[in-house]
Amino acid sequence: MDEQWIQSVGIDVGTSTTKMIVSRLRLGRMSSTFSLPRYQIVERQLLYASEVHSTPLIGFDEIDADGIGAILAAEYDKAQISLSQIKSGAVIITGETASKKNAQHIVHLLAERSGDFVVATAGADLEGVLAGKGAGAEKRSQAMQGVIVNVDIGGGTANAAYFQRGRAIATVTFHVGGRLIRLSPQGVVQYVSPNIQQWLTAKGLRIPVGQEIGFAQLTEVAEQLGRSMLDYLTGKERQVSGLLVVGPHLRDAIPVDELTVSGGVGLLMSGPPVRNIADASRYGDFGPLLGYVLQQEREKGTYPVQWLDPDQTVRATVIGAGMQSTEISGSTVHIKPELLPIKNIPILKLELTEEQLADATRLRQEVASIYQLGERLFEKTTGIPFALAISGIGYCSYALLQTLSQELSEQYRATFPESQTMVVICETDMAKALGQALALRCKGAPEIICIDQVRVEYGDYIDLGEPISGTIIPVVVKTLAFDERP
Amino acid sequence: MEQQLDFLVDKVVAELQKKLGEVSEQAPSPKTETGLIQLRSEPKAEPVANATAAPTPAPVVNEQPAPSKEPERTTHVPNPKYKEGLDELLSSTPARIGVWRTGVRPLTKTMLELRRDHAAAVDAVYGEVSQAVLDQFSLFTVETQYDNTENYLKRPDMGRILTEEGVRMLQERCQKKPQVQIVVSDGLSAAAVDANLKDVLPSLMDSLKSYGLTCGTPFFIKGGRVASMDHVGEILEPEVLVLLIGERPGLVTAHSMSAYMCYRPRKGMVESERTVISNIHRQGTSPVEAGAHIGTILSKMLEQKASGVKLVL
Ligand code: B12
Repeated sequence: MDEQWIQSVGIDVGTSTTKMIVSRLRLGRMSSTFSLPRYQIVERQLLYASEVHSTPLIGFDEIDADGIGAILAAEYDKAQISLSQIKSGAVIITGETASKKNAQHIVHLLAERSGDFVVATAGADLEGVLAGKGAGAEKRSQAMQGVIVNVDIGGGTANAAYFQRGRAIATVTFHVGGRLIRLSPQGVVQYVSPNIQQWLTAKGLRIPVGQEIGFAQLTEVAEQLGRSMLDYLTGKERQVSGLLVVGPHLRDAIPVDELTVSGGVGLLMSGPPVRNIADASRYGDFGPLLGYVLQQEREKGTYPVQWLDPDQTVRATVIGAGMQSTEISGSTVHIKPELLPIKNIPILKLELTEEQLADATRLRQEVASIYQLGERLFEKTTGIPFALAISGIGYCSYALLQTLSQELSEQYRATFPESQTMVVICETDMAKALGQALALRCKGAPEIICIDQVRVEYGDYIDLGEPISGTIIPVVVKTLAFDERP
Repeated sequence: MEQQLDFLVDKVVAELQKKLGEVSEQAPSPKTETGLIQLRSEPKAEPVANATAAPTPAPVVNEQPAPSKEPERTTHVPNPKYKEGLDELLSSTPARIGVWRTGVRPLTKTMLELRRDHAAAVDAVYGEVSQAVLDQFSLFTVETQYDNTENYLKRPDMGRILTEEGVRMLQERCQKKPQVQIVVSDGLSAAAVDANLKDVLPSLMDSLKSYGLTCGTPFFIKGGRVASMDHVGEILEPEVLVLLIGERPGLVTAHSMSAYMCYRPRKGMVESERTVISNIHRQGTSPVEAGAHIGTILSKMLEQKASGVKLVL
């Protein structure tokens, strides 16, 4: 087999809009036929992009699950795609919607209705990274020195992801979005999100709910909001602007060289000028104004960053989810096809140093303490409690392979006797050899899945798809939190 | 000031000539393997390089690299504009990039490194596989008709046929018609066998066990060429055969091994009926992973009753 296409779907259910795309990814053999096989995704094509639907809600804060189901059914129909053809992809429930009542329920419903190996997930960090990929920031970072940040501004939140040399290095989320302030066509303020209240107070700004707001006053708020976000992103000021941050803060200010803005507000940046309340409130919120003031900020060039146009705006997240969430593991692996796909496996990281690898006793202790941590963190299960990600092994000799597989398997069987499958992820190309060594020791109790050349971090979750042509495993790494990493 | 500099330059030149002399003594220049690069040393121009561009020459020549460990490659670019980018490029290839220059010439350091690697390549061809390594896996030795290394290089055909003594030994000591026959040979790099056999072979054995395959009596061929497997095939008639053999050393590594595999090897086989996994060494295809993968390939050969271009992997 030299190449193959797989179909991948992306679904983004946001605070205000819902979108779906279908793409196909080409797996190509990167190695010559005479050396060990190595496949990679070499091409990504967008096959179908749905319209931007408004997210159906019941009342104010409940997503209408059946409504979403109906939209998807119609879109699948239009795209002429059947669920069984879909091998990978991601469902993202974004922004404030994710914390709404029935998000969990929706996630499961969507996963069931969107194909066999579609990852269901909700989380601002992953969303920011996917939006950054969809907007082209990740790709751009490979071609430049320094750091690029993409901020995807939607209805309720803005998800920023920093990229350097092709890697996401940090994420941060803000309460910045088009629907945080809602307006009637006449300019009567109908709603102000409680999430920005503290920040408004700190800034000495007031928005009268239920009353008409002047255009100048609203512009002031929009400008301040945009600037606070830019202050934080560029590290200019983090005290007051920090009040807008949702969840964990950036540990250190990251110097940024380039900036892209995606999302609905990113699109509005290239919209017509907003000159009065009627222009501002044309979608029933202050989104157009927010986009406009950001565009002005870009033109003024007050911030020492280079603003670039993103590849995608409103569809950045959904395109990232559908086209860029899947990776391919190394192709010499140890698997049992019947056991796949598996979903939502948390990562437990075993980071080994040269000294630990050279000393069997220290290696044993290290494995023991990592398994103890696994016992504390994750529930006992007859399935897979976690995937053990091993890093730090430079060169793996046969002797080291033996010591390692001995310690890993013996203690696993003792600590997690009820688990029927052990999942191991190696950083370097050694999965087949290690998997084989583990399997020879465990003899089916537990079964072994061992893959490699996928980069995972503590706090990630991982999904493994059904093997394609025997040994190619589609992998989706779900990054949930950057800053909680040790 | 100028006098001092001259004095310094003279000293450096003297030192270099001594060292370069040592290196070329260790490396008898091969006459028949044309792929290996011949170098002419011109020490006159080099001290300038040393004095201007590379003020602190690293003691490269004195370090005798351990047989299986390649020396780490670093850049000699004095003040790279974009260090991370350069490091990324360096880690993407074992080729000699970022070596810098003095005038239109390479730096002394670079030249010495090249000569050292060249010498290692030559040593690998002329070296012998350590008996301890062979004993570790209870491999007995048979020879081809190569006679001596000079002749081995000139007459590849003689490296494809075992001596009469060798044939007799195989008939006496080896299991006939095994499912899998494993053979090890020095080929063009004894150092490759020394460096990798201990990782490749046991991993391959494990893999055979995992697939439930049985293996005959493994042995070592001294002075072997790839096609010596055809002669072995005639004698032992294995279903599949894997030959772990030292590759022609290059300037990137002298420790690289290949696994040539074949379904029912016999006289008159054409090359396209063989399957090869090459570049097995520390910096290349991982030896343990290669061992495990060879097992997979052999099992596919048995399943499909084919090898080489006819084998679907
Ligand atoms: C020397 C060499 C050749 C010489 C062999 C001449 C000779 N009679 O010795 C020539 C120029 C003919 C050659 C040709 C080819 N080679 Co060549 N060759 C090499 C080299 C540099 C060294 C091989 C070696 O050390 N062998 C060990 C000694 C002891 O073996 P030998 O008995 O003296 O010689 C035999 C082998 O060299 C073998 N052989 C050589 N190349 C190949 C390729 C294949 C696919 C097979 C089955 C056998 C084979 O044929 C020789 C005669 O039996 C390797 C590089 C490497 N890192 O291994 C590439 C290499 C093995 N060759 C390769 C290829 C692709 C080929 C060709 C298919 C190129 C082509 N597209 O036509 C042909 C196939 C030739 C064939 N025999 O069928 C690739 C294999 C692919 C890979 N990445 O793993 C390698 C690894 C080079 C590379 N990096 O791309 N090759």
